[in-house]
This record gives sequence, structure tokens and C-alpha cells, in this order.
Amino acid sequence: MLYAVLFWEYIKNYAKTRLTYRADFWVEVLSDLMFQGMNLVFILVVFQHTPSLGGWSESEVIFVYGFFMIPYGIFSTFFGMWNFSERYIVKGEMDRILTRPAHNLFQVLLENVDPPSLIGSVVGAVIMAVCWNDLGLAFHWYYVLIMLLFVLGAVLVYGGIYTALSAISFFSDAPTGIVPLIYNVQNYGRYPVNIYNKTIRFVLTWLLPFAFVGVIPASYFLDKKADDLSQLAWFTPVMGVIVFGLGLALWNHGVKRYRGAGS
Amino acid sequence: MLAIDVKDLRKQFKVQKNREGLSGALKDLFKRENNEVTAVKDISFQIPQGEICGYIGENGAGKSTTIKMLTGILVPTSGQLKVNGYVPYKDREKFVGGIGVVFGQRSQLWWDIGVIESFQLLRKVYRVSEQDFRKRLDNLVERLDLGDLLNRPVRKLSLGQRMRCELVASLLHNPSILFLDEPTIGLDIVVKTEIREFLKELNREEGTTILLTTHDLQDIEALCSRVIMLDDGRIIYDGGLEELKNRWSKGREIQFQFGTPTSLAKLQLLTAGLDVTWTMSEQGASMWLPHTINVSDALGVVVGGADIRDIKILETNTDDIVREIYRSGSASVSAAATLLEAESPKQEAEAEKETSLR
Repeated sequence: MLYAVLFWEYIKNYAKTRLTYRADFWVEVLSDLMFQGMNLVFILVVFQHTPSLGGWSESEVIFVYGFFMIPYGIFSTFFGMWNFSERYIVKGEMDRILTRPAHNLFQVLLENVDPPSLIGSVVGAVIMAVCWNDLGLAFHWYYVLIMLLFVLGAVLVYGGIYTALSAISFFSDAPTGIVPLIYNVQNYGRYPVNIYNKTIRFVLTWLLPFAFVGVIPASYFLDKKADDLSQLAWFTPVMGVIVFGLGLALWNHGVKRYRGAGS
Repeated sequence: MLAIDVKDLRKQFKVQKNREGLSGALKDLFKRENNEVTAVKDISFQIPQGEICGYIGENGAGKSTTIKMLTGILVPTSGQLKVNGYVPYKDREKFVGGIGVVFGQRSQLWWDIGVIESFQLLRKVYRVSEQDFRKRLDNLVERLDLGDLLNRPVRKLSLGQRMRCELVASLLHNPSILFLDEPTIGLDIVVKTEIREFLKELNREEGTTILLTTHDLQDIEALCSRVIMLDDGRIIYDGGLEELKNRWSKGREIQFQFGTPTSLAKLQLLTAGLDVTWTMSEQGASMWLPHTINVSDALGVVVGGADIRDIKILETNTDDIVREIYRSGSASVSAAATLLEAESPKQEAEAEKETSLR
């Protein structure tokens, strides 16, 4: 309950500060969309050269991409910890966080909420709906619930991984280059994982489970393929809970190692 | 009941050794060498409820590290501590609800939004009811004279205004212990005095325990009944401020200006029976006398024998005392005694002049 109230308060404050910088807001939305648009163009270009990718048609791959955009948008809204190490560890703002009676990760996340990213989710949903129509897929009302469950799981997978990555800053003095690395790896999860070799596939499914934020849950709604990924779809929420649990555990452990900055 | 109970508290940091040059950097890449630095070395002290305690020491003596352990930000390497009945780093979220923290160097408030909105947000974070919040806020605003600042964004406030707002922010939830880390740093004398008065009143009326670190000894003189002095991670003095002064102050200096030029020999002749030292300057002369001699006795003999235009009596002030202690790194009596012998009174007098000029 407390957290819901706080959540609302932070969003309100976000709105207050951000609406004073209106141009900034629109630039951010636009650049976000352009970035996603580029990725989409890339998919279209690929399909100009081949009719199918590992047994997946153009519309199906775009469908997967549309699905991916939904959890990604939500993730970007609530886990904008890109400058965590810089701002909270190096500059020592974590001091302030730790002297307030609410969970520290929650406070850090709330201080960095970024609602414009949600527009990406909306666009993703639209893309998915269009493809749904193109592919002539069946639709049942309970798909909405399943969808919500999968999206939640996917957001948790993402959140867990990036929480763990941010927690590394507690252990290492210098900000590491690992975040951009993982950021690149995550892009692979948007495409059907069966086009990669076995090792990469294994990594994307079980070690850095980015397949669970895109292709695996999305395949649940698509026609069945030869190597049925959709069997794994129900693992999405489970993976979400496990990955986030691990990320949170690492974070909580890391906070004990926090050593403050200067003065 | 004790507000703060600390026993054998120790904090060690691992510090990476960076080797020199590019080859050193490459070596560091593969094999790191760590140095253990002990910032706080097994300190113990107890602070009863309702006390204002000053925590002083040179830069890097371990003050901030201690405060950060007491407020639950850092986890101690070893030792026991109990603050307000909690072990700070263990039940952090419950514990911090009962303390207020102000770091002079760092803002608690949100930069872009109005002060009152920051307060509202803090009200929610600390789960203070609207009614209590109003009452408390009105009271604090009146006492710190913040009225017209409340709607301004924090980034548009001056340092003094911001500091007063920080104080209010840390007190909204009515904490029983207030930690202040250099609360008056960079403030002008008016705001400093205001904040001191406010803290004194807070302590008197609400019994708030206050622990503050500072480099401004006037903060200590104005506020603290007790001083803990830290040097290189160890407590070197823990007790009353008066006691510290008495133990350390070596004497007084009396400056004379004469109507007619008076020679050193004549002055020494006048005070022949007394254990005082004379130094001559362009304007006149100054006499340095230890505590064993009465000021009136010494004055009496000089006044009787010379044509005096002006007299000034200088007590050794706390700044000097503390500077001496920092320099020697110990507050024990023996160190004081050796110092007394080593230092010539002339140097002493000069140091005093410097500070009186400031």
C-alpha cells in the first residue's frame, strides 16, 4: 500500500518536473520511436532477401518484435538505471536513499521513472494487432490475461538482469563496460532463437534469458513450429520470478558492500 | 536510556593500489593489489538521550564514516552498535524512521520541484499523517522563517535557505535522534547563528538527541555540552568542552600600549617576582602569563610602574587549543605538558594574534 502511494507521488513529481521541459519530452519520445523504427526497417530489409527466417515468416517475426516492444517499453519506464553507478555510487547519492524508510531499490527505480518509454509499448501493441490480423490468428478473450502474465514475466526477466548488472557497481570501483555488452546481447532475443547455433540458443534461453522477453512468449500465440518454442512459453513468468529474485538478492547483498563516496 | 551505544566499532575499507604508468595499469588489470585501510579503529562511546554531542576531528579522521555507520548507510567491519534501540544496518528501514539526517554537502531535497512538494513526498515516505505533518510543518516554518520559500524550486534557493529547508526535511517525521554532518559548512554568520539557536531550542523543547560533526568550533561552543574528538580513527578525547579548554589552555596574554616608550628591561624589572614572559612589538609590549599567576596581580605591578594607554587581555581560544591537539595527535595530559615545554610562548602569542585578527 505504501509503495502504491509512493509510486503515484513520484509519478506526479515526474510529471511536474518534466512538463516544464516540454520539448525535451517530445524529443525523447521521438528518438525512442526512431530507434525502434530502425530495428523494424532492419527486419523488413532482411525479408526482402529471404521469404522466411528459420521457418518464420515476415509477419511472424514482426509480430515477435511487436510483442517484445511491450515489455521493453514497460521495462524502460521502470528500470531506467542507466546512470546508477555514476549517480548513486560515484557521487554517493545512495547515502540519501539509505536513510529513508522504503526499500532502496524501489526508491532508486522510482527516482528514475521514465513514462515516455511507455509509448513504445503502445506502438508494439499496435504492431502486434496488425500482424495478428495479417496472419489470421485465432483470438480468445483469455489471451489478454495470458498476454498480461507473459508481459509481466518478461519485464521481470529484464528487470532482474539489469538489477543484477547495476548491483555490480557495489562490488567494483570503476563503472564497467558490461552494461552495453548485455544491451547488445539482448537484441538477439527479439528474433527467433532457432536461427542461431546451439550455444547461443542455450545462452539466450537459460543463462541470459532474453528469449523469454520476445520470441518464446510470443510464439504461444503463433502457429506451431517444427521445434516448438511455445512449449516453453509458460516458463516465462517462472523465469521472471527466478531472474528477478536472483537480481534482487545480488542487489541486497551489494548494498551491504556500499562504501559511500568522499566526505 | 541510551540513544547511541557504540562498542569497539571498526570499519575497514579495501583500497585498490593503482600502480604507476601504463605498465602498472596493465599489471593491475590482471593482478590487483589491495590495501586495507582502517578508517575507524575500535571506538566506543555512549550518548544518553537528549544530549547534544559534537564530533570533531581533522579531515579524514573517520567522522563521516562513523556517522554513516550510525545511520545505517555503512555496515561496520566489526563491533557492536545500537542506535535508538536498533542495530542500524540490520533493520534499516524500520530504524531510519526514527532518525533525521542532514548531510551539509549533499541535498536531501529534490532539485527541480518546489520545496513544499519535496516535503509532501517525504511525508509519504515517512508515513506521517496529514494532520501531524501540517502541525509540524507550520511550527518548523515559523521557527526557521521559511514562509515565502516553500513554493520555490530547490535549485533557486541560496545555500542558507536550502540548509534551513534541509533541516525541516529531516525533522518532519519527528525523529528522536538528529545526525548532522557539517550542517553549517559554507554558511554566513547570520544563518549559522540562526541554525544554532534553532538546534538548541529543538533540543531543549523536544529532547532531541543531536550528534553533529563540524569544523567550526563555534558550533561546538554554542551547542555542545560534550565533545568527542577523533584522530586517525581513534577517540582521543571524550568529555566536556570546558574541561578540554582548561586542560589545554596554557595561559593568557596581556597586550599593553604605552603612553611613553618603555624599555623591555624596565618591564622585566617591574614583574621580577612573577613568572611571566615579555615580548616587545612596535605598538607596545605583550606579557604572557601562565594560569598559576593571577591576572590582577600581574596587571597591578605593571599599571603601578608604567604609563599605560591601552590594555587587551587575550584568552587562548578553542581554535588554538584544537589546532594544537590536532597537531600533536593526542589530547592526553602528558602530551599537553610536553607541548607546553616545547613551544615557546612567543609562537603561541603569534598564533593567537592570527586568530584574533580573523
